[in-house]
Amino acid sequence: MILETKNLTKSFGLRKAVDGLNLEIPDGSVYGFLGPNGSGKSTTIRMMTALISPDEGEVFIQGKSVQKLGNKALSSVGALIERADFHKHLSGETNLEMLARMDGTDMSRVQTVLDRTGLGNRGKDKVKTYSQGMKQRLGIAQALLSNPRLLILDEPTNGLDPQGMKDVRDLVRELASEGITIFISSHLLDEVQKICSHVAMISQGKLKTAGPIEDLLKDSDLLMTEIHVNPLAPAIELLSNQDWIHRCEENNGILSVGISHDKMSDLVQLLVQNDLQVSAVIPRTSLEDVFLSKVGKENQI
Amino acid sequence: MLGLIHNELLVIAGRWRSYIGFIGISILMPLILWGFSVGGEELHRDYARELGGTFMIVGSILNSFLATYIIMNTLWIHIPFLVTLAAGDSVAADGANGIFRITLTRSVSRFKILVSKLMASYIYTALLLIFCAFWSLGIGSIVLGTGDLIVIDNGILILDESQAWVRMAFSFLLAILVMCMVATLCFMFSTMTNNAVGPIIGTIFLIIIGYMIMSIPLEIFEKIEPYVFVKYFNVWWDAFKDPIPWGEIGKKLGVLGAYSVTCFGVATYVFLKKDIKT
Repeated sequence: MILETKNLTKSFGLRKAVDGLNLEIPDGSVYGFLGPNGSGKSTTIRMMTALISPDEGEVFIQGKSVQKLGNKALSSVGALIERADFHKHLSGETNLEMLARMDGTDMSRVQTVLDRTGLGNRGKDKVKTYSQGMKQRLGIAQALLSNPRLLILDEPTNGLDPQGMKDVRDLVRELASEGITIFISSHLLDEVQKICSHVAMISQGKLKTAGPIEDLLKDSDLLMTEIHVNPLAPAIELLSNQDWIHRCEENNGILSVGISHDKMSDLVQLLVQNDLQVSAVIPRTSLEDVFLSKVGKENQI
Repeated sequence: MLGLIHNELLVIAGRWRSYIGFIGISILMPLILWGFSVGGEELHRDYARELGGTFMIVGSILNSFLATYIIMNTLWIHIPFLVTLAAGDSVAADGANGIFRITLTRSVSRFKILVSKLMASYIYTALLLIFCAFWSLGIGSIVLGTGDLIVIDNGILILDESQAWVRMAFSFLLAILVMCMVATLCFMFSTMTNNAVGPIIGTIFLIIIGYMIMSIPLEIFEKIEPYVFVKYFNVWWDAFKDPIPWGEIGKKLGVLGAYSVTCFGVATYVFLKKDIKT
């Protein structure tokens, strides 16, 4: 494991922000960290990166305790915590040079990471002239500066337009293909499903589920099923009255139904018995469905 | 460590607030020097009245040394205020601007970062006083000329020009050390907040309280007085005494040093324990 948290706990006043969190992030994975706003994602990440001290528990990076060794344990880590903030009155290049000077990184890396994040020709411009997307890319550039083995990204696509989000996604995929482990928190479930191999879900500071995405989708108690049925209105009325059906939503003329795995045949039988024509039944459980079943609708992201 | 100090100096140099002190001095000093050059006769008369019975005065007493000696009284409150402009920002601004989310996640210890910030504040403080000396002594010499320095303080001390240069340099060195203590105090407050204005107000407030304790003749305040750091600010005056009271200077610098170490100790404790939530 490249990153582990053991019984990580942090309170702010009477509120427990993170409660006994145990995570294991395998080397080489792209690990999504999901949770609703205020669930403790950022606090956890800040404890991982020595910004916040836990009340209890420890974070280990490559076996080294962040709490015991402090910032020394972060030598193989690059991090972007929330919004990328820099000295606005200095250029992007100068900001990166300052960071390189801090930990003795070779200065040639500055141009390398600027090029890599698409800022090669804007490096000499002051940060205050950058768009939000460019600042975020500069944030990723600084995280890559010291050639990290583990990249920790907290909501890296926040404030980005769709193209900017796609650029970040592509970059994450590219970095993952080079063997860098990526721990990424996001509230965009679809985005996480697209790029992550593993995922952990937390709510109210507690771990709800964790593991490879494929396994989570497979093992989910809830099976989301797309049903092409005709006529639609009586079908909705019928299914909405069944207590074993967890969700029933209509979207563009297609029914999306949430049921337990063992109820699939009962569902089809019910529709047919009520003279409704079923033309297709397609299982389509998404990460969002898993999230909703584990964390609950009241905590929707 | 040098790299970290270099970084901090780049940050200070890039902030417009850092130049307020230099701009202020550049406006104030020519004004004062002009005032001395056109209205110095009254001052000359006062000095001549004091000295007339004892000395025969040839030429003008008023020169850049006397002007600097008088200008240095701004060290009591004006220069401390200018010093706090950089020291107050030092830690607090990085917290407020979210810079710590970037810098404190790197493999550099917080202690090193803190020390580099303090060193940069000291360098800024020294530069500010050197700039002040450049104006009052350098430009002052051109405007008012040089000559002997006559100091009236529990007696009369006349220093010839070569001695006056040395004493002035020594006095500014002592002033830099005093102002570094002010910078450390402000720096300590800067670690406790994410707002640069708070540390500035806190520091100036403590200095004013110190002056009040020293100036109000109450027994209780007289008992407290030895523990008030402001009492030792006048160490720069000792450079103009004859013989130079080295023991007294050592004692005053020792007290100011102890305050500085204490303030830095508190700053270190606060900063190392600080949760970065911004």
